[in-house]
Amino acid sequence: MADLLSIGKTGLAVSKKSLETTAHNIANVNTEGYSRQRVNQQTNSPIAKGGLIQGTGAKIRSIERNHDPYVEKRLRASTSNQSYYEHRANQMTRVENIFNEVDNDGLNKVINKFYNAFRELANQPENQTIRSVVRDTSKLVVKDFQRIRGTLDTIARSIDQKMDGEITDINTTMRSLANLNKKIQALEAAGDETGDLRDQRDLNIKELSKSFKIHTYIDGKGGYNVNAVNVGTLVSGTQFQELATRPITKTDSTNNMDGSVEIYFKERPNQPITHRFKSGTLSALAKVRNEDLKALQEETDNIAFEFANTVNAIHRKGFANRKVDIDANGKPMSSDITGKTTGINFFNVPIQREGAALQLSLSNEVKDDINNIVTGFAPNSPGDNRIAIAISKLQHEKVMADGSATIEEKYLQTIGNIGLETGKARLDSEQAEGILVQVQALKERYSGVSIDEETANMIRYQHAFEASAKVMQSANEMFATVLSIKR
Amino acid sequence: MTRVSENSSHGAIQFSLNRAKRKMEDLQMKGSTLKGITRPSDNPIANVEALTITSRVSDNKQYLKNSDYALMNLNITETSLDRLTEIVGKAKEIAIAQSSDFYDGEIRKNVSNEIRQLQKQAIAIANKRVGQKYIFGGFKSLETPFDKNGKYKGDNGHTSLEVAKDFFVPINLHGQEVFFTTGNTGNREAHPLEPFPEMQNSPQQKDPNYKPSPDALGEPKEIDNSRDLASVDNAAKGQNEADFHQRDNLFAQLDSLANGLENNDNVLVRSLLEKFDDTTSRLITLRTRVGSISNSIMDSKNNIESNNIDSQTRRSKLVDADVAELFSDITRQQSVLKQSYQSSQGLLNKTLLDFVR
Repeated sequence: MADLLSIGKTGLAVSKKSLETTAHNIANVNTEGYSRQRVNQQTNSPIAKGGLIQGTGAKIRSIERNHDPYVEKRLRASTSNQSYYEHRANQMTRVENIFNEVDNDGLNKVINKFYNAFRELANQPENQTIRSVVRDTSKLVVKDFQRIRGTLDTIARSIDQKMDGEITDINTTMRSLANLNKKIQALEAAGDETGDLRDQRDLNIKELSKSFKIHTYIDGKGGYNVNAVNVGTLVSGTQFQELATRPITKTDSTNNMDGSVEIYFKERPNQPITHRFKSGTLSALAKVRNEDLKALQEETDNIAFEFANTVNAIHRKGFANRKVDIDANGKPMSSDITGKTTGINFFNVPIQREGAALQLSLSNEVKDDINNIVTGFAPNSPGDNRIAIAISKLQHEKVMADGSATIEEKYLQTIGNIGLETGKARLDSEQAEGILVQVQALKERYSGVSIDEETANMIRYQHAFEASAKVMQSANEMFATVLSIKR
Repeated sequence: MTRVSENSSHGAIQFSLNRAKRKMEDLQMKGSTLKGITRPSDNPIANVEALTITSRVSDNKQYLKNSDYALMNLNITETSLDRLTEIVGKAKEIAIAQSSDFYDGEIRKNVSNEIRQLQKQAIAIANKRVGQKYIFGGFKSLETPFDKNGKYKGDNGHTSLEVAKDFFVPINLHGQEVFFTTGNTGNREAHPLEPFPEMQNSPQQKDPNYKPSPDALGEPKEIDNSRDLASVDNAAKGQNEADFHQRDNLFAQLDSLANGLENNDNVLVRSLLEKFDDTTSRLITLRTRVGSISNSIMDSKNNIESNNIDSQTRRSKLVDADVAELFSDITRQQSVLKQSYQSSQGLLNKTLLDFVR
């Protein structure tokens, strides 16, 4: 009898525990990263009694979580990938907007207007109105070059800021990882795995894998290690290495801009590791800043440099649009009291290729007096338009790419490249997102809570509980019957 | 994996809804601008080609403007040449009439006034302006090219305009070639890019055997004084030469005719007939030249206009959205979205709990 009661008691306990686990699952149906937990029942050790070997009820062997480490690994890799392409596509879309001429005027149209303004001036070189139109059109060209270069710089700096923010978040995540490791170690010293804490740890690691590619392993001492691929160990058991950022001067920077940000381990400030991250947000940001943006900045500067120099070279050969005195030998004087009469630059001469687009501006002579816009090759010849024609013909001169492309062609090539890169980044991003969703679905199917399943389980365990309770009731009644034999 | 959990079905619903809505958003953007491309990455190659076409079309518009301006100038030049030919014809008639011994000195003196009038008219035509520009002054277009004595103060520059890619036409004739007999009426026009041999489009680069034309720098040429015209007034010969720069210009001839009539000099008058013939044939040659330049400009205008139409058609093909296709896509996508919503409803709403006690 006593055995009957205790067997019933084990049944009750096991059912109650199973119901608790089911309740825990249902309560956590919406918890991110939660893996459903399952109760493993087992029979109690059988005993030999009265020549028979009989069972002694049930017990709970363990409560374990349904978790597939392989799917988890794939999930991390897909997360890194998706984050890389998403950020790349975002940044490239910002860059491509600078060069978008579908609806409004961009550099291509403005430079074209410049050449055609000179053609118009070649029609009537004596006309002051057209001269001033030429000057205004040139101002538009200068402004657009500055807009493009300026916006490229702005995007580079915003990437720097974003990196700063990312590193702060990464450090916070690593700190909580180390804490979790400590708690898990403490709890698991007693025996089993703690499903809940491990779930939280996996969630943190997934968060981290958005920023860079991760590799995890258990080291010899049983500590849980997190390693950034190609960079180094970040978390080792309960210790972690903080990351930090630092602005670098122009000469040492990777993208040739002052104040660009580099990442390094806090303990080792002289070894930048920005370029070593693989996959993930950090690597995408670094690549856009150091490769794509840098190339565009150089390209824009090149175009501005060649543009200014070619126009100036022709412009210098002619004479200003005012009376030029002839000296005793019959040669025209090269300067008079107003200023130079020949050798006048149209744009300020760019000092160097780098930064030419930002520095581009009209020369002081042209800004002060529109008669310094030269149209004639011979002095005192208001009808001579050869300089104006030559400047307008620069449109068809192949001065870029070692003499194989005109300025317009080179610029359009640049736009074409950006369009292709951005389109590719967007396609890659969509594809990576699709893969990520698929892997997530896999994980959820395996580890996720299904309310239908839990409901069915609930009913099952409830029945088992009722049945065990009935067993105890029968045991009780039987005992009472025995007791009532002697009145 | 045959098992399905809440989160996985929720994830699947979100993914499909997002995908349908993203496509919807993209189509809506295209529908509101009616362009197939909203950014370079939508179709990078088409975008670059469309931009190239835009540049070309705007260049062509400028070339058309240039053509019109050139035609205007050439027409005015031609009309002026026409009137000059008339004047020379009239002068010649008078010279023929007066060269016989029929008329006496008195009548000849009266007739000489008419010649003086003709001379004044010729100078007025020579100093004709279009806007503020003198058309017969060469490059010195803001100063009166001929003074009242017929001295030429301009130079022999030809203003060229680009009326089509790499097609330059001169739009003026300078005073030297119109009014001076031994002036250069040859057809070698100086290419406007001659002073810039470093440019790839300059004639020196394009043709290694190119020789610069004589008036390349637009400097007034030294022309030899012709000595075969006997001067009426030998004592004033030096003064006349200084006045007229050299003997064989139209004003000098008219002046000589007037002098000859006033002084009753038959021989002089007769000798001028041949000069007038030369002048007339020169003027006619120039008119022909101007006419043929005008024709070639009008040809190139037609060419450019039809190029523009072709280019615009191509550009529209590249950039504009096919309206019918676009709107049928939108309608279809709308129904796809609606279906997604409805099918999600079934998945989201019911659980086992609804059916158990």
